[in-house]
Amino acid sequence: MVYQIRLQGHLGRNWTEWFGDVTITLEEGGETLLTCPVKDQAALYGLLRKVRDLGVPLISITPVKPAHQVGGADIKPRSETKRSRK
Amino acid sequence: MPAPILATKLYVPPPRTEVVPRPCLIRHLNEGLRRKLTLISAPAGFGKSTLLSEWLAGCEWPAAWLSLDKGDNDPTRFLAYLVAVLQTIETGMGAGAQSLLQSPQPLPTESLLTALLNEISTVQEDFVLVLDDYHVIEAGAVDEALAFLIDHRPPQMHLVIATREDPQLPLARLRARGQLAELRAADLRFTPNEAAMFLNEVMGLGLSVEEVGALEYRTEGWIAGLQLAALSMQGRRDTTGFVQAFTGSHRFVLDYLVEEVLQRQPDRVRTFLLQTSILDRLSGPLCDAVTGLEDGSRTLEALERGNLFVVPLDDERRWYRYHHLFAEALYVRLMSEQPDQAPTLHRRASEWYEHNGLPSEAIRHALAAGDFGRAAALIELSARATLMGRQEETFMGWLRALPDEEVHRRPVLGVYYALALVSHDLETGEARLRDAERLLDGTAHANEVVVVDEEEFRALPGIAAITRAYHAGALGDVSGSVRHARRALDLLPEDEPLWRGAAASLLGLAHWADGDLEAAYRFIADGMESLRMAGDATQSLSGAFILADIRTAQGRLREAERIYERALKLAEDHDENAPPGLADLYVGMAEVRLERGDLEAASRCLQKSGELGERGGISENRYRWYVAKSRIERARGDLDAALDLLDEAQRVYVRSPDPETRPISALKTRVWIRQGRLDEASDWARERGLSDRDDLAYLREFEHITLVRVLIARYKNERKEHLVRNATELLDRLLEAAEKGRRTGSVVEILVLKALASQAGDDVPDALACLARALALAEPEGYIRTFVDEGVPMARLLTEAANRGIAPVYTEKLLAAFDSVPRRGEGESHPSLAEPLSGRELEVLRLIARGLSNREISERLFLAVITVKGHNRNIFRKLGVRRRTEAVARARELGLL
Repeated sequence: MVYQIRLQGHLGRNWTEWFGDVTITLEEGGETLLTCPVKDQAALYGLLRKVRDLGVPLISITPVKPAHQVGGADIKPRSETKRSRK
Repeated sequence: MPAPILATKLYVPPPRTEVVPRPCLIRHLNEGLRRKLTLISAPAGFGKSTLLSEWLAGCEWPAAWLSLDKGDNDPTRFLAYLVAVLQTIETGMGAGAQSLLQSPQPLPTESLLTALLNEISTVQEDFVLVLDDYHVIEAGAVDEALAFLIDHRPPQMHLVIATREDPQLPLARLRARGQLAELRAADLRFTPNEAAMFLNEVMGLGLSVEEVGALEYRTEGWIAGLQLAALSMQGRRDTTGFVQAFTGSHRFVLDYLVEEVLQRQPDRVRTFLLQTSILDRLSGPLCDAVTGLEDGSRTLEALERGNLFVVPLDDERRWYRYHHLFAEALYVRLMSEQPDQAPTLHRRASEWYEHNGLPSEAIRHALAAGDFGRAAALIELSARATLMGRQEETFMGWLRALPDEEVHRRPVLGVYYALALVSHDLETGEARLRDAERLLDGTAHANEVVVVDEEEFRALPGIAAITRAYHAGALGDVSGSVRHARRALDLLPEDEPLWRGAAASLLGLAHWADGDLEAAYRFIADGMESLRMAGDATQSLSGAFILADIRTAQGRLREAERIYERALKLAEDHDENAPPGLADLYVGMAEVRLERGDLEAASRCLQKSGELGERGGISENRYRWYVAKSRIERARGDLDAALDLLDEAQRVYVRSPDPETRPISALKTRVWIRQGRLDEASDWARERGLSDRDDLAYLREFEHITLVRVLIARYKNERKEHLVRNATELLDRLLEAAEKGRRTGSVVEILVLKALASQAGDDVPDALACLARALALAEPEGYIRTFVDEGVPMARLLTEAANRGIAPVYTEKLLAAFDSVPRRGEGESHPSLAEPLSGRELEVLRLIARGLSNREISERLFLAVITVKGHNRNIFRKLGVRRRTEAVARARELGLL
């Protein structure tokens, strides 16, 4: 399963490795989106622990259906699609 | 052989020289001392530790400080450090708990904590205990230990927890009861005023009000952020430009600022910071080993002077650590800039720790370096010490981190892993054991097998056999357990008394479970001797307890008594500190005295045992105190009290390898029968799946005898012939088995029951014949209660026997014992009550009249508070009142008080 973790502030790319296999996307408005394929809930909690240890404010966590299951590009929750159009 | 205690984990950090005074928070902390727990919960970089060290420096009370790390998820290690940190308050505090910690027999954490709490409660002065970085704790066992500590906190200990996330403790409950003082991120963040004071006065930056406001807004009062910002601005002319660039950026505050700070360092320092970021603790020599340079100590001092997030860990400035957040940021930078370097750095750190006698740190870095061969070799060398020090969790954590193939070719690791696993998870442990055995029996190719510790290898086949014996024993496979334990003894070298002792004891316990008491006695006595040679005094005392138990089952009361006397004398001569196990000996002695009919002496023994407290007993035996006390109350005729005490016994009972020869539920059933509660007694027999046609086994003997009692009691009520017939047939089979196993203690009881069954069936001659046999066996050993507890029918039979000249001296003595027992309870209750108060209820009522709280009553009577409340409800109901004061008034009216 894939989760998107939204954080406040733009995180440097060098944290990619520290978080493990995540994609870091810097969004307008000074937020960072971590796209994290995780094995299970336990792995997700592990990631959240890292967010905690970094002291970076957490905004939201959203589960995302993997692209290959949905097909096409419309994999983001609605609110996010809006945001990227802005 | 406990692992070394790192003094740096116990260091109370001194206050910084220049800080922003925070009187409001200090006041809050002072007020918190009146509550059970102070919780400081906020993300990294909010100045939790700084505030605490500031507060403690000005606090009148002495303080102990424990910096937790991941290793403390091992409950044993956590407890070892807990004891160590308390000893910084008072030398010797927790010594009792410490000796329990080092005993090789695993004890439940709660017993250790109780011992520790008892010792804390003797401390004269109030003190503060800080647990810093509690967020590293993920282990439920540690959370539970702490919750227990908080619940039973002695008043002189004030607990403070600093953490990045709320701990798994009953916070809501504490909060609701006003027992929790809290400081959270919102309280800790710098206010605009504090930010201004910090930037301009402490750091001397001379910023404008707008600039301070902008920085405060951008960092949201996050102290680490403001500190990094201040460092980046120091010595910079254009602070306005910096503030604009920083506040205008979207970049994560930490990223932005760490980069700014690093850019301002000379290359040498920058490299040093990155390379040493792999270390949890920093010392000059360790840094030199990692960097390959020689200026470690000087650099660390310079970093401390420059306020570069270096925290000293001792007064001599030998050990430091980086501020956690800073270390994290540095490590990330190292990994992204020079990822190939990290394994080399870890390996160097591992080597340094190895040469400086800190194997667990050496192992951690070897694992981090991905150098599994090295890690496995190091683990192998410290396997025995780690397991002997009871740090099983640590050991298993290491083994889980190793790739399987590394364990598969190392028999020492394989066997120890199996041994550690088998007490947690029989199946996995057994699977591991099978793998390891293949390496030992030569099925594997010789060149695949790696052994670092040849010494350890010699004992290995024996230890593998011990693991097999344990596995079989735990599955109830007695013959398998015996076979493997025997093999272990054959395989183990003579100079391994510890393992030989363990094997012999397992063998003994297996024989005991099988009902072969003589063999059990011999093996356990041998095992105890070996353990004593290996320097384990606790074991030899608890061994005496087991040996006397076996003698009692064999009907050799006098010998059991002698074993207790000898062991008590040894223990008392030992030294003034009661060795663990002493309290249990008094319990055992109490039961012998009781059987002999000396209730007063039995009570005195129990009282002595109680005075020695939890510290004096092995926790597995704690329930025995309640069982003995219950027997005394029963002898005095207070059956309610006897049942309460059995409930308590059930509450504190923990399973152990010792066979459960007198299940508590069966003891309770015997009291029910006495009370005429036959439905409950029959339900018990049904729930336990007991039938008079069962195959017999020693471990069910007590239950089967109890079943006979149920059948006889029912026969007396229902007069159905098959009941007494079934009882008699079962008794005959039980008698044959007990005689074959030479369990004279059981034989006497069975004959007594046979006599009573015949009497109930009006066959007096047969009853007297059985009784005569019982008397002949019991007289030389001085049994009393086994007869007297049977009450009126037995008194009648004994009178009949006396009339016919059967054992005249003994029967006279027994009949005298029927009269001499002071009866409480029934006789004292007042006739004007529809339902009279039981003895126990009267006792509770008297204590209520004396103004004791429920808790005080529970402590006085050794009951759970909930049990006392149950009594209160019954008292109120029977007296027709609704509260304590009314109950006392009504009881006075009735002349009950």
